[in-house]
Amino acid sequence: MAQGKYSGVRESKPGRVNDLGTTGKQVEADFKKGCLKRADRSFAQGLQCQQINSMAALMSLEDSVFVSHSPQGCVGCAIMAVDMYRVGQAHRGVKNIKNPRLIVTNIDQKSVVFGGEQKLKDAVKKAVERYNPKLVFVYASCASGIIGDDIDAICAQLGKDYPDTIIVPIHCEGFKSKICASGFDAAFISINKYILKNQPVEKEEGLVNLFAPTTVSYADQKEMERMLSLLGAKVNYIPFYSSLEKIRKIPAAQASTSICKVFADEFMKTLWEDYQIPYSHTVMPIGIRNTDKWYRGIAKVIGKEELVEEIIAKEHLRIEPLVKQLRERLQGKRVFICGGTGRSFAAAALIDDFGMELVGLETPTYDEDAQVDIEYLNNIHKDFVVDIANMQPFEQVNLINKIKPDAFIGVPEWAAKLGIPTTHVLDGKRPTMGYDGLLYLGNKIADQLENPGFNKKLAKHVKLPYKDSWYEENAFKYIN
Amino acid sequence: MSQIMENPKGGCVLAGINSVLGAIDRVCPVYHSGPGCCMQTTAADQGQSGHKNSCFVSGVSIPSSNMLEKEVVFGGVSKLRTTIQGAVDIIDADAYFVLTGCTAGIIGDDIESVTSEFADKGVPVYPIVTPGFAGDSNLGYETVWHTFIDRVIEKDVPKDDKLVNIFGIVPYHDPFWSGALEEIDRILSKLGLKVNTFFTKHQGIETIRKSSAAALNIIINPWLFKAPAEKFEKKFNVPYIRVPGLFTGATDTSEFVRQVADALNLDKDLVESVINEEEDYVYNYLAQAIGVVSWKRFAVVADANNAVGITRYLANDFSFTPVLVIVSEPIFRPEDKERIIARINDLEYARPPKVLFLTDQYEINKAIREEENEITLLVGSSNEREIALEKDIQFITGAFPMNERLVFNRTYAGYRGSLTFTEDIYDNL
Repeated sequence: MAQGKYSGVRESKPGRVNDLGTTGKQVEADFKKGCLKRADRSFAQGLQCQQINSMAALMSLEDSVFVSHSPQGCVGCAIMAVDMYRVGQAHRGVKNIKNPRLIVTNIDQKSVVFGGEQKLKDAVKKAVERYNPKLVFVYASCASGIIGDDIDAICAQLGKDYPDTIIVPIHCEGFKSKICASGFDAAFISINKYILKNQPVEKEEGLVNLFAPTTVSYADQKEMERMLSLLGAKVNYIPFYSSLEKIRKIPAAQASTSICKVFADEFMKTLWEDYQIPYSHTVMPIGIRNTDKWYRGIAKVIGKEELVEEIIAKEHLRIEPLVKQLRERLQGKRVFICGGTGRSFAAAALIDDFGMELVGLETPTYDEDAQVDIEYLNNIHKDFVVDIANMQPFEQVNLINKIKPDAFIGVPEWAAKLGIPTTHVLDGKRPTMGYDGLLYLGNKIADQLENPGFNKKLAKHVKLPYKDSWYEENAFKYIN
Repeated sequence: MSQIMENPKGGCVLAGINSVLGAIDRVCPVYHSGPGCCMQTTAADQGQSGHKNSCFVSGVSIPSSNMLEKEVVFGGVSKLRTTIQGAVDIIDADAYFVLTGCTAGIIGDDIESVTSEFADKGVPVYPIVTPGFAGDSNLGYETVWHTFIDRVIEKDVPKDDKLVNIFGIVPYHDPFWSGALEEIDRILSKLGLKVNTFFTKHQGIETIRKSSAAALNIIINPWLFKAPAEKFEKKFNVPYIRVPGLFTGATDTSEFVRQVADALNLDKDLVESVINEEEDYVYNYLAQAIGVVSWKRFAVVADANNAVGITRYLANDFSFTPVLVIVSEPIFRPEDKERIIARINDLEYARPPKVLFLTDQYEINKAIREEENEITLLVGSSNEREIALEKDIQFITGAFPMNERLVFNRTYAGYRGSLTFTEDIYDNL
């Protein structure tokens, strides 16, 4: 789909659904027949809005100020990106750790009645006067969208007032999408429109764009860069911990790939259309199978298919004996997985490396991409429960309580209170990716399974907030 | 009235409401809001307060109508109705409070009529019709208490002359809130009082319903809670005293004890013996580490409550030199600012510090950077670490937002908290 036509709202893609309770076999068949219907939950718990993703994606950029045109509460989740930025600096050896420059316009009752345009102008003025940044990103919010502030027009005007600063409006109004990954698309659409602007750039031989979201640890960055450099590639690591210069280099690349399945996937299509940059869109490089697949994907695009096989063979030689040890500890254990689109499927593939059995999978969306993964998973596992949900802990605990898995992979908070051993494959501060990350994760899972005392004791002392009767009900009762 | 703010400390009114409800046992907020508000508002306060969050429901566990374009255009009342019904059906709460996000507030959904459908059937569902854009977390604290006073607290509850209610310490907006409340509870219990902290000891909605039995409302905060305290007194005939800052250390804590004792006419001998015992406990430790903590000229960046307490402890009890105090929460009434300045400047021996009211991080950093007098210790929030590193001064994360430490029951308040604080300012460099 061409850039101009894609709105950035992930639901706009045909065949993509968000609310569904099914099984691996069923969903594969239903998707093939084209009879997955778009549903909704009549009762739900909170979601992650797309504005959170738009902000997190960019908040580690140098020489930038981030203006949230919203009430003060809408920058709450920025703390996650702020924390990753601060810790990321520490990991990168920065001594004087800085805060990201985040300014909230603080839309209030007066703005709701009279418009918040003046507040936005004043906020951008402060941003420029204080930091003379190369970039100012302006984020829309539910409130700014509904009261109808024209942030595009204001940014265009401000661009004339401050010619040395690129002012980039981002349309990440929360109410526009239920899929928080839409926020990544909104950010990239604006980067393309306001920074790259379809201008021709001189190509740089061997340069590969590596798109990385905020949750990628420095250890993972180094592992990804190491792997790509073995293929002779120079890495343009963006937009996490990057800069305007690196963003401007995007069109100079010979190829693109991403660490996460739902990060820059649409943007890489656009780069192909606008700049003829080929790309690899595969999986998240967690676990042997997925790391191989990810690695082969980008190697093929840059014509290093033979070389990559040599490297993979060598890595396998090194890794497989160690994985075998882990397999002995984990073989046959039943696992329930909950995660974002990229990590949930990656974790599902990872557990296959260890001979574990998938019994439940919770992932935010189902689409063509998910179908490919589900077909693969159906080939190696018996029928497993699939909950297409963005978290929804009430459904998760209902399912876990019935399925009683040996292990849970995902946000640990709720499964832990049921006494299930928990681990997470999302750790933005430690390794999870590539061949070495695999061992770290495997050991973490095996050790937790071996020593589940904390969760078991916790479950005896703490009760989840749900009524006993809820656990008897159909977990998908509210999907209709 | 809200100001443009760089790196704001805390969230919107919804964040404050959520923090308070989250700290009460078995109470369930229900959001009528956009899809991200549960996470955003939980992250804004609970998520920046020492990594402890509500055990009952918080973040993505909170029921929410997740208003999308359809609800924005056609209204979200029917979505709200099924959301409340679901919450009541599956969540084992003693009370449900329906919160109003910006989206619901701007399009004007009639939340009251939906909640009354449930209330009419005897289900304890209460509306809080204050949309996110109405203000900040502090306003959220007052808003919840207004709701409790208007709709939850019962009249004609038999009076209990030993019962006191504690107000002014905002859960999660102060990272040390539970430790502070536990210390206050411990001290007042020694005086023979029964203490409603509302947020510890598994106190729940029943405690709130019966809180009108109290003999005294104690506001521990130099400015917050003016209107709710007056309303509480008028409706339930419970008088209040204001303690102008969260006391740290023997001097201010003993002053607090005497203030409460005077208001309740407690037995003087008992009061003095408790004070003696507690002060002895503190000084017995302080005496074992004399000269260990090196002398500092200090600055504090914190909410008014903690700015007062920390400054006065370090100056009055520890003989450090106060240089600069920045009150970093939005305070609008001039008389409140005057009260805070007066309390900070009323020091026994030390020269009064400069007191500024700044909420914007750029301005806070600028004030510290440009301070002419030397600063060798900065007590502040995670946001001030940057300027401390830049100026190469010792830094203690002692205020909200607090991201570099895990906090359960730690506190700097009271007698015992002052020892913890003193431990934290030790610096072997």
